[in-house]
Amino acid sequence: MAPVTPAELDALQAQLTQRLLESGEWDRIKFILASKLNDSGWTDDIRNQSKERARTMEPLSFATLLEEMSAHSQTSMPLAVRKEIVALIRGYLDKQLE
Amino acid sequence: MDASTCPHIASVISTADESGSPLKKFREVVAWEVRRGQAVKNPAKRRKISAPTCGTCEIALHRPFVCLHCSYAGCWKSGHVSAHLKQSRHQFCADVKSGSIFCSECQDFVYHSKVDEIYLESTVAVEEEETRFQVSKKRREPYQVWHPTAEDTRALNNSVAIPCQGRRGLLNLGQTCFMNVVLQSFVHNPLLRNYFLGDKHNHKQCKVEEDCTCCEMDKLFTEIFSDETTAYGPINFLVSTWRKSAELAGYAQQDAHEFFISTLNHIHSNCRGSTNVSCNCIIHLTFAGQLQSDVVCERCRNVTSTVDPMLDISLELKGTDNTIAACLKRYTQPEKLGAKQYSCAKCGKGAQEASKRLSIKKLPPVLSFQFKRFEHKTADKSSARKIDSQIRFPAVLNMAPFTTLGMKSSEKENSYPGPAAMYEYDLFAVINHEGQINNGHYTNYARFEDEWYRFDDDKVTHATLSACLNSKAYMCFYVKRHLDYKPYMTPTYVLLRENEAVREKEKELERERERLKEQARRDRELEDSLLAMV
Repeated sequence: MAPVTPAELDALQAQLTQRLLESGEWDRIKFILASKLNDSGWTDDIRNQSKERARTMEPLSFATLLEEMSAHSQTSMPLAVRKEIVALIRGYLDKQLE
Repeated sequence: MDASTCPHIASVISTADESGSPLKKFREVVAWEVRRGQAVKNPAKRRKISAPTCGTCEIALHRPFVCLHCSYAGCWKSGHVSAHLKQSRHQFCADVKSGSIFCSECQDFVYHSKVDEIYLESTVAVEEEETRFQVSKKRREPYQVWHPTAEDTRALNNSVAIPCQGRRGLLNLGQTCFMNVVLQSFVHNPLLRNYFLGDKHNHKQCKVEEDCTCCEMDKLFTEIFSDETTAYGPINFLVSTWRKSAELAGYAQQDAHEFFISTLNHIHSNCRGSTNVSCNCIIHLTFAGQLQSDVVCERCRNVTSTVDPMLDISLELKGTDNTIAACLKRYTQPEKLGAKQYSCAKCGKGAQEASKRLSIKKLPPVLSFQFKRFEHKTADKSSARKIDSQIRFPAVLNMAPFTTLGMKSSEKENSYPGPAAMYEYDLFAVINHEGQINNGHYTNYARFEDEWYRFDDDKVTHATLSACLNSKAYMCFYVKRHLDYKPYMTPTYVLLRENEAVREKEKELERERERLKEQARRDRELEDSLLAMV
């Protein structure tokens, strides 16, 4: 198999993103992700942290809040949920690339 | 109540004509997103879902931000959309998913209550087009904005506004914290609050002689929403409860859930026009749902369904996985019935193997949960044991997987259970119990608009969502995010009144006709006798 250039990878990713969106699969997987994150308590945790952080932030800025919360939201995501969603995405991609 | 600090959005909103306004584009964008969301969940429409691409980098957008002044759409993260706003001198863009508006001048997301209103209006309007009732297949009743009549405006202008907090402590009258927490859950219940603050049961005009629980509720709301800041002692409520429910009388600690159910029944029976079947009282309108029980015969697959009313849901606690979702899953999972318990009407071969499954057929506007923390081994209350483990419950609860319709649609391929708005609930109150069964203490959390407070009898303190969710819940109260409207039907008692009036009128006409006939007959007799004399 010839090595894939970064440009080709970008193009491939763009095409797969489009297919995911147009077939509605993106939204279906997103819905499952949102449900699982809510069930695990992660959503309420992030909501609470953002709110309490915003309460004392002076001046209040969305950009600052987003920056502060982004890293933490990624790392605090429950591993089991991450694995499940990655598996769902992989399953779809495998079917596409057959 | 416009907490907007952005003068730019304020000036846009004050412009009456919407034709060239970014608000018009905003409405279209919101409607577009709702339709797209429905197309995703409704696989019957096997067309491609539209996926706009970024005007700058041309990649398909999974989270589009749309310029409200031109047809540009772009990515947020890479800065493409804010670059567009700067370069084109366009002021606003909107996040399609949340309906949030970003102001390029203020370099921040801005809020205005009017924008929230438009977002809600546009969303509901599109959802109404697509959702049908389960049985009649008719479309949803269109939401109508309330416009005050001249009379309403006059009444509002003539009323005196008083400063009130709406958050007031309740005095403990001697082990009455069980009552206080339930009353606070009523006070912060949007449907009950609106009913009583809307003067639907005025205690000064009520004709009931004694112990009207509706009057007690009306008095409670008057006290809570007064300008008094000191705690209120609901003495009459307590005494009235003792007189109507002897089992709750006395100064011993009572069970809050028992008091809750008992009070619901008292309010129901005191409401005018309450009936035992399909009651329209405020309690049933608020709390009543329907539970469906499906029994499937293992042999012939015949299904027998029964529907029962429910005012709340009591959940068993088992094992270690204690979340509301897990409890509800257990509640609605199929359960094998013993061979002796069921005999099938269809294949009728005596005792059969069968399975029973519960599901929620109709969701109430307010969903109340009780966690069975007190295990009674025998009928003797004092021998019970308390399960003190932590139960996780969310601030937002989607009930779709536990409803009859939701479960059916997840089993069938092309079935659409309806928009999330039909199933989403927001937590508004939590009742906690600490200590042992006989010498414990009740406290509660309640949400006032967007802030959480802790209520410990007369002490009310500001709290956080996190503190509430980490507390050990005994009861949880959720309110549906969107209310569903039935098509308007004239209430039965009004119809009866009208029918009575019609019947009365007919009787009157009949009597009149009889009278005229009688008169004519007498006239003829008179004539005849006069003629006979000639």
